Amino acid sequence: MKKEMIVGMAVVLFEFLVASFSFGADTIRMGIIDTYTGPATAYTFDVLDGFKMAINKVNAKGGVLGKKIEFLTRDEKFKPDVGLAMAKELVLKENVDVLMGTINSATALAVSDFAKKEKIPFFVTFSKSDKITGEQGHRYVFQITENTLMAGRAAAFELSKKPFVKYWIAGDDYEYGHAIADSVWTQLKKLKPRVQSLGQSWWKVGETDFTPYITAVLAAKPDFVIVATGGSGMVNFQKAAKATGLSQKVPFYQHTAIELSTLEPQGLDAPEGVYGTANYLFYYPDTPENNAFVEEFRKTYNRYPKIGALYGYVTGVLIEKSFAKAGKVDKEKFIDAMQGMLIDSPVGKLELRACDHQLMLPMFFGVTKKVLQFPFLIASDIVTIPAKDYMPTCEEVKALRK
Amino acid sequence: MVLSLLVLLLIFPFVVTRFYIYLLALIFVSGLAATSLNLVLGYGGIYQFHHAVFYGVGAYGAALTIAKLGYSPWIGFLVGPLLAALLSLVMGAICVRLSKLYFGMLQISLGSLVWAIVYRWYSFTGGDDGIHGVSMPDLISSTKGSYYFTLLVTGACLIAMYFIVKSPFGSTLQGIRDNPVRSEAVGINVKLHQLVALVIAGFFAGVAGVLFVVVDNSVFPDMLFWTLSLEILIMCLLGGWLTFLGPMLGAAVMVGLRTFASTFTEYWTLIQGVILMLVIIFLPEGVLGYVNTKIRQLGNVASGGKA
Amino acid sequence: MEFLSSICPPEILCQILVGLSRTTILFIVASGLTLILGVLRIPNIAHGSLYMIGAFIAFSISKWFGGGTTGFWMAVVLAPLAVAFISLAVERAIFAHLYEREHLMLLLLTFSVALVLGDLVKMVWGGAYRTVQLPGSFKGPIPIASLPIPIYNIFLVIIGPVVALGLWLLSNKTKMGKISRAAAVDREMVGAVGVNVSWVFAIVFVIGCFLSGMGGALVSPIVNITLGMDHTLIIEAFLIVIIGGLGNVWGALLGALIFGLTQSLGILIWPQFGIVFPYAAVVTVLIFRPTGLLKSTW
Repeated sequence: MKKEMIVGMAVVLFEFLVASFSFGADTIRMGIIDTYTGPATAYTFDVLDGFKMAINKVNAKGGVLGKKIEFLTRDEKFKPDVGLAMAKELVLKENVDVLMGTINSATALAVSDFAKKEKIPFFVTFSKSDKITGEQGHRYVFQITENTLMAGRAAAFELSKKPFVKYWIAGDDYEYGHAIADSVWTQLKKLKPRVQSLGQSWWKVGETDFTPYITAVLAAKPDFVIVATGGSGMVNFQKAAKATGLSQKVPFYQHTAIELSTLEPQGLDAPEGVYGTANYLFYYPDTPENNAFVEEFRKTYNRYPKIGALYGYVTGVLIEKSFAKAGKVDKEKFIDAMQGMLIDSPVGKLELRACDHQLMLPMFFGVTKKVLQFPFLIASDIVTIPAKDYMPTCEEVKALRK
Repeated sequence: MVLSLLVLLLIFPFVVTRFYIYLLALIFVSGLAATSLNLVLGYGGIYQFHHAVFYGVGAYGAALTIAKLGYSPWIGFLVGPLLAALLSLVMGAICVRLSKLYFGMLQISLGSLVWAIVYRWYSFTGGDDGIHGVSMPDLISSTKGSYYFTLLVTGACLIAMYFIVKSPFGSTLQGIRDNPVRSEAVGINVKLHQLVALVIAGFFAGVAGVLFVVVDNSVFPDMLFWTLSLEILIMCLLGGWLTFLGPMLGAAVMVGLRTFASTFTEYWTLIQGVILMLVIIFLPEGVLGYVNTKIRQLGNVASGGKA
Repeated sequence: MEFLSSICPPEILCQILVGLSRTTILFIVASGLTLILGVLRIPNIAHGSLYMIGAFIAFSISKWFGGGTTGFWMAVVLAPLAVAFISLAVERAIFAHLYEREHLMLLLLTFSVALVLGDLVKMVWGGAYRTVQLPGSFKGPIPIASLPIPIYNIFLVIIGPVVALGLWLLSNKTKMGKISRAAAVDREMVGAVGVNVSWVFAIVFVIGCFLSGMGGALVSPIVNITLGMDHTLIIEAFLIVIIGGLGNVWGALLGALIFGLTQSLGILIWPQFGIVFPYAAVVTVLIFRPTGLLKSTW
């Protein structure tokens, strides 16, 4: 017993004495918390790589305000308590200037709360909870990605133009799933009052066998199904849809159905005719900016950029431009500089809206289709929905935050 | 020696950066949870495989009372542990007729049931998002403030648990652990003793959960998941489950390891696993061999003596 | 509760069939776990990791052979063998020396192995989603009572009893099987009779892990192969083993049936809390039959 006590105390002491990774003196320090373990990594590695690409360019020019941008990453392994502890470590021990991350909405909300207390700017790069810039939004949190409210509205925008009337709603039984479904349905009902909901099905997150649910849906004979899946549910559902023939019988919609992260792993086996929304498609729009971005990403990382790459890249650009405009490495001035900031991006000019700190991204709506040039499906019949058409207005956000 | 340690802990916040204060507060929280587990595991010999449920329920009890129902935090601080103790009573009553592995597995099933309910009931519990920004009284909301509060409460709980262990009740409990058949024969109500121990352990685990809310102002459904129960179990094991302060030490090692290993590599689970393996293979040869020997010795003792 | 109004027999039949295909995977993995638990007395938490490794290796093998029919069958045959090999290495290196330890220690030891294996998988395969292609003949649905059931699910429903039969034959009709059953009951006696108990244990362990790898390989075409597969499966496998009776393979089948069916039928009854039904079933069984439904070898 005594032996272990001594060993244990030595270990603890050693840990406390270990010199922490120290930043260079004259740098801008970023702290990135994200999930780099598990299924979420299909998205998060792209965020990091996109971000790295942006700041490598900045640092090659000598940095911003004469300082290079450095960053530290922490893997929260999709555990919110770990993510929060790591955020605290980055801020209280490593003294980072800016926080960035994460794909886990629970972590994002907890860290946002912490960022508010510590007055540190926090960029949310993948979490889609609408509470982040909505009812729990504040001065120190910024959302680069779309949220569930926005995605739903964009989808409803296009769906209301289609002839479908009888709908079935289904999805992953967690916050994200319900939020997306609610958002689509509420907006759809507003735009096209005569749509009917025939019923709902909700399955556990990570469900692999959708056959019982799909048969129930088919039996009800809807015109269209709104499928609110997230993460690995995307691919699992599409596989099941193909296996049961659902995709041939009844059209359905998923947010991010047309994204590369969902379609690439399935290769040519993915179902055709699936409706989806996404914020980024590497092949559309066919503009010089987008092509240059894709070219550079492919050269650096040897793969096509997925949605995360856009988020990460844009975050880097935003940070650089804001510090440059602020004139000094002062957090408050940095935040002031960012209000309404306009930046160039692969998808065109983007504005960071001042009233809620939400980045105004365009949304693409399309249908999956097989083409000859790629070993995976892509979106066709693409419609671009500008941000102002699907984002909540500043008044709506203000009302939420009361 | 204890006095000097106490002084050290009191002046700690004035000599280190805020992060270490936060870290030490977290260690106290985990250590308290681990020590409460050890009450029934080490001293009671009960295979408490899902202790995290009580920890999580304590935390959620406090968070929901404060954030959803709007009561004062001090009321929340009371509700949490009481709720945990109540759950412990109910679950204990169901599980206590089984022993060893079966007790553990039934508890895991029941605990998973509770977790599933908390996880799915997002309209009330916030579901997988958890609850954040739970407001705390100004006195204890700062880093230093929460540290001292945690130190105070943890210290009080440790003292209470120490007295319980040293009391006749505690001795009876250990007697039951070492030889349940003989204890029964001597007229001790084994099941009742175990149930009481479970409720006490659940109560203190609930206190630990409340302290977590004080330090981090958040709750997550992960706090009720079985992997956390295993982690708390490992803390007891690492530190030495036959000593009183062993679990606290184990908590220090685990929390410290997680924090510092993650600054060097993304594969900190691997490191955790390897260290755990080494400890189990090499160190507990001492601890467990000691336990086995002691049990055999007790079994060989001719007459009853103290129960 | 919207479903109650739309239930008609074909749907229940469909749910049952799907539940059965789920049962197969659960049974294959749980049978391996119960074997190891029954004979070696080791609660192998790393079992889930081996299942995950089986799925990942199946992916790699399938890709190596160019996907499609060849890829699939090679994966299903070779992946479990690869997992068996890995488990042999782990067993000889670590577990073989520690059989005398307390159950709790062994449980925590296997937990640490699971932690290590989990990160190793991440190191080797990275984090992206993987899937395995089905051979052409397995793709698509068969209409049964006018509802589409994927052919692959039917295949799984057939495979389940085949494996069960195979295991029964192995343990009752072969010499090795009889020896291992004896060793489960009294290892010292078997040792005294001159059998190399250590090798018996190794073989049983490897077979158990082979089964786990097989489960992973079989499930690879219908799920997303990702990190974290191990966590979800292991708790279900353990619960199945416990309600079936420790060390009892038929018990594992029974347990898997209960688990799989309560889940798929529970979905019909109360979709939001469907996940709760299997746990509730387990709790019910354990309250009335704490040592499991069938005889355990402990």
